[in-house]
Amino acid sequence: MAAYLIKIAQYWLRFIKHEFYFKLNAWTISALVIGLVLFLPMAEVVWHLTMPAESWEHLRDTVLGQYIKGSLILVVGTAALSIFLGVSSAWLVASCKFPGRKFFEWILILPLAIPTYIAAYSYFDLLDKLNPFLIWIRLNISTEAMALVSDAIVYPVTIIVLASVLYPYVYLVARAAFIQQSNQCIEAARTLGHGPHSTFWRTALPLARPAIIGGVSLVIMETLNDYGAVKHFNIPTFTTGIFRTWLSIGDLPGALRLAACLMVLILFLLILEKWLRFGAKFHNNSKSDRPFKPYELGQIKSFLAILCCLFPIIIGFILPISRLAYWASQTIENVIDSNFLILTANSIAIATAASLITVLLAIFLTFTSRYFGSRTINATNRLAILGYAVPGAVIAIGILLLAKQVNQAIGWIMTGSLSMLVLAYVVRFLAVAWQPIDSGMERNCEQINNASRSLGVTAIRSLTKINIPMLRNALVAAGLFVFVDTMKELPLTLILRPFNFETLSTKTFDLAQQAQIPESAVPALCIIIVSLLPLIWLNFQIRNTEK
Amino acid sequence: MNVLTLKNITKSYNSNEPPALNDLSFNCQSSEVIALIGGSGSGKTTLLRIIAGLEAPDYGEVILNNDTLNSSTVFVTPEKRDCGLVFQDYALFPNRTVRQNIIFGKGAMDDPSWINELINMTGIAGLEKRFPHELSGGQQQRVALVRALATRPLLLLLDEPLSHLDPELKESVRTELLKLFRETKTTVVFVSHDIEDATAMADRMVVMHKGKAEQIGTSNEIYKNPMNKNVARLFGKTNFIPIKLIPNAPYSFTEKESNEKLVPVRPHQWRVINDPTTDLPTFNGKVKSVINQVSHKEVEFETSQLNITLHLPTNQSVQADSKLTIAYNAEL
Amino acid sequence: MKYFLKLSLGLSFLLCVYTSAAELNVYSHRHYDSDAILFKEFTEKTNIKVNVVKGSADQLIQRLVTEGKNSPADVLLTVDAGRLHRAKSAGVLQPVKSKTLRSNVPKSMRDPEGHWYGMTVRSRVIVYSKDRVKTSELSTYESLAKPEWKGRVVARSSSNIYNQSLLASIIAAHGKDKALAWAKAVRKNMARAPRGSDRDQARAVAAGLADVAIMNTYYLGILANSSVAADREVANKVGVFFPNQKDRGAHINVSGGGVTASAKNKKEAIQFLEFLTSAKSQETFGNVNYEYPVKIKNNQSELLKSWGKFKADKVNLSILGANNAEAVKLFDLAGWE
Repeated sequence: MAAYLIKIAQYWLRFIKHEFYFKLNAWTISALVIGLVLFLPMAEVVWHLTMPAESWEHLRDTVLGQYIKGSLILVVGTAALSIFLGVSSAWLVASCKFPGRKFFEWILILPLAIPTYIAAYSYFDLLDKLNPFLIWIRLNISTEAMALVSDAIVYPVTIIVLASVLYPYVYLVARAAFIQQSNQCIEAARTLGHGPHSTFWRTALPLARPAIIGGVSLVIMETLNDYGAVKHFNIPTFTTGIFRTWLSIGDLPGALRLAACLMVLILFLLILEKWLRFGAKFHNNSKSDRPFKPYELGQIKSFLAILCCLFPIIIGFILPISRLAYWASQTIENVIDSNFLILTANSIAIATAASLITVLLAIFLTFTSRYFGSRTINATNRLAILGYAVPGAVIAIGILLLAKQVNQAIGWIMTGSLSMLVLAYVVRFLAVAWQPIDSGMERNCEQINNASRSLGVTAIRSLTKINIPMLRNALVAAGLFVFVDTMKELPLTLILRPFNFETLSTKTFDLAQQAQIPESAVPALCIIIVSLLPLIWLNFQIRNTEK
Repeated sequence: MNVLTLKNITKSYNSNEPPALNDLSFNCQSSEVIALIGGSGSGKTTLLRIIAGLEAPDYGEVILNNDTLNSSTVFVTPEKRDCGLVFQDYALFPNRTVRQNIIFGKGAMDDPSWINELINMTGIAGLEKRFPHELSGGQQQRVALVRALATRPLLLLLDEPLSHLDPELKESVRTELLKLFRETKTTVVFVSHDIEDATAMADRMVVMHKGKAEQIGTSNEIYKNPMNKNVARLFGKTNFIPIKLIPNAPYSFTEKESNEKLVPVRPHQWRVINDPTTDLPTFNGKVKSVINQVSHKEVEFETSQLNITLHLPTNQSVQADSKLTIAYNAEL
Repeated sequence: MKYFLKLSLGLSFLLCVYTSAAELNVYSHRHYDSDAILFKEFTEKTNIKVNVVKGSADQLIQRLVTEGKNSPADVLLTVDAGRLHRAKSAGVLQPVKSKTLRSNVPKSMRDPEGHWYGMTVRSRVIVYSKDRVKTSELSTYESLAKPEWKGRVVARSSSNIYNQSLLASIIAAHGKDKALAWAKAVRKNMARAPRGSDRDQARAVAAGLADVAIMNTYYLGILANSSVAADREVANKVGVFFPNQKDRGAHINVSGGGVTASAKNKKEAIQFLEFLTSAKSQETFGNVNYEYPVKIKNNQSELLKSWGKFKADKVNLSILGANNAEAVKLFDLAGWE
């Protein structure tokens, strides 16, 4: 036993020596500091959990159950509907031949450009449209029945709204998985006498399962992060609960505990995802394997396939966009003024700054961790990218707590400054940039960096001459994703925006909050248009690589 | 003079598992070519990476030309080590041309004539403006070699230099590499799993098994006088005969587990004996099976005590279940 | 000549910008056009530039707390006495003494210690369908809890401060237990789960989904003057009923402001509040945003006059603030989302 303990102790001593003595240099020290600083806002939230929360018992006994119920209903419903919409359309465009298939292939991702709260605003009167139906129930059945139906109906409506713009996360990964699937597997299934349906259910879908689960987990994160849409439909969820407890009851520790519950829920889902993705190496078939031959569809089936692909696009893109465009055309004169131009410029400027800084930090952090093989930096990186799993509202609270402590400690006022807002975006979206850069570096640069080191080249030269040129596409993609996410971001911006600073998203929210939804269409459309550009670029890239 | 000295190198990845490298020591003279040979999991690539500085050992010292690169208090980063490393998959920079690849290393530009000489020696002249993906596998390897040698390293490390090549190309590449090493007077440590490659190229080889250096020596020494069963098996099928059965055998080793002295006998060291009066030690037994091969017949032979594998000339007629007398001839 | 005119205009504009040495930083919850008009008038009159951060009052208060004495804000403007009280107890406002303010704002509409002053008054009333409800059926807020209103009431979320203050006034009038029973019963009588803005409640009544709505008066004014025909139609279909006229009076509330504890421009801030409560500004609030002036009797707006005079609840507004957190918890207990 003693010998074993000594062995463990020696192991750790050696580890510490290697990590903190041998691998210590300007790169690793700065990466360590940056990683920890980016994790600080989340650490603040966890740290403040120890504070006494006066209203916690009240929350636990009254609304916590509602928040869990509301969040879970939305998560399950949105995930299920997203899977249905995403997988069905992905399978059709990946495996069947019908007119317009190429067109659908990329247009199906367009709803990704619409943030959930804007989708909710574009459907703001959907519930009112159901009023005649409810009144019919009251007149023909009973008032109680109407009250029951009208209480419940808000959930399916919200789920439809959320899923109609979130399904592309599933669609994208499912389509890629279906396309990459080994021709041999599919052909084997066919020669074993499985028709298209049976092939789909028994071969293609199980093989694509790990990828689909990955996509669904993004849908779930977005659902849990949403504030604007659930606020609009007044559904009790964790995000609305956090805002309410913090701001209405004035109990920050209580809000933090709710945030912690939410983080536990997310952690649970992440673990579930890891577990469900077990066997994710299903499709590491060689590239030389031909993609499988698509099924030729007859006229009627083609027509049905087109309908099936049109449906998500109509509810997720065409309908919201055309409604917004109509409202925008009605109100554009009232909305567009010099202020509007300024806030558009604000949005673009801050999103540009946030994406540049995020990408720079992401490449610096991944490079340092991989180049110097530092497990410590790898660990701090993992902590730093946790921000993506944490809802914007929670990060904003964490940043405010941090700012308060900094203010008390050295009198430096961080609140209401642009730099703090940018810091918050970096914390929230680092993972968005980190993911493509890190996987690109893992795939393309590992061995090359070793080669470069053994040639005696300095780290900075390896980074600038080898890694950055090699990862050009990943860097642009990362930058664009962060840019779009920043443009769309709402809860965090609402809390942290500085003096006289409005962005397109806060303007949209403000106008919608004042029940000026037609007016909010103008900034909403601007956000969507800006978000569309990277999607078009991405599509262009995918096409190129497929060729 | 020793260019490279390794002392007691130990490395484990996980405190619960047996170490990947276990107390390994050897040294390497100037202009010597050393092969690290062993099966997968023997730790040979880990050792190469430790010498290059891409990994740090838990214990032990690496000394290159009197400079300590690794010790309990020293760790010289790979950039600062005077080692060139050629990777198994060459690791050429895909975004740089052949020439840009070659001159990328530290100090590679100091001596353009040296680079030209290397380019001519390896026959890659005329390819300088191409990108790596426009080259064949053999050409890529030469570029990687030139790139590593361009920095004039004290020590050149190669990871499985011949594993990606098809058998026909292999022989010519072996000769070319050897020629290049001799002409440039390079000290080389390379990793291989193939005993033929190691025999053809290396002055000495380090036989590795489960993180230990089982035997160090020239190919011939190791072939004739292996230290244990694992080393002996590197060169193909081997029979281990207790020394009491062939007391005059020139080579033997003591098996650690049973503490038994064994003689390694290669299958071709047996002869069928028709004349019972020979001086050679003989064994009587029965043929179990016969497999025809291109150059010989492989016979599984069973005596009252042992199972023996022997290679007999193709013209010798042997039937399964027939009884034979065989003799061991150390001269063969 | 034209060129010269343009040039001089441009120059005077530049001069304006550069001579407005003083600045005033305002955190405001109010999103109304009336405010923008008045801020502009203020700048023209005094040469003090007004910088505004709009946000929800709760966030702005939290932000003031976090920023502490380094906060750049001089003035906090918000709706609802509950929030003004919350700002006061959070220590982000400072007491201000000004004769003008005291004469502009009646005693019940300001903080006794001068931490905040009311700016406009709004009443939370019962809005009913002219087709389906006779005014004789309506009496008090309390009566909406009766079973005959089952499935006929709509109201917005309990996250909304107006509802919180209404419940706070009921707590003040009847105590905690009765207030909870009231909230429970009204929630049970609702035609749908609470959602949307006050305007949406009026729309639901006009559409026939419900018969009565609890909402603020000025939203009806906004609907009646909307550029959208459907909204004007909504305003036509519904009527305003001031409840509890026979006892304590209809629930009223103020929007108002105070000088922040950290104010660097205290003098300008007081000047600003005085300007907003001046008779002329009060008229603008009424005409543009359909809010009552703090001196309700001075109301000049024709639309407001058409709703008739009413008796207002005299409860001291700071009590509403004190009861606010309790009200939020009662809503949670009542299951009013």
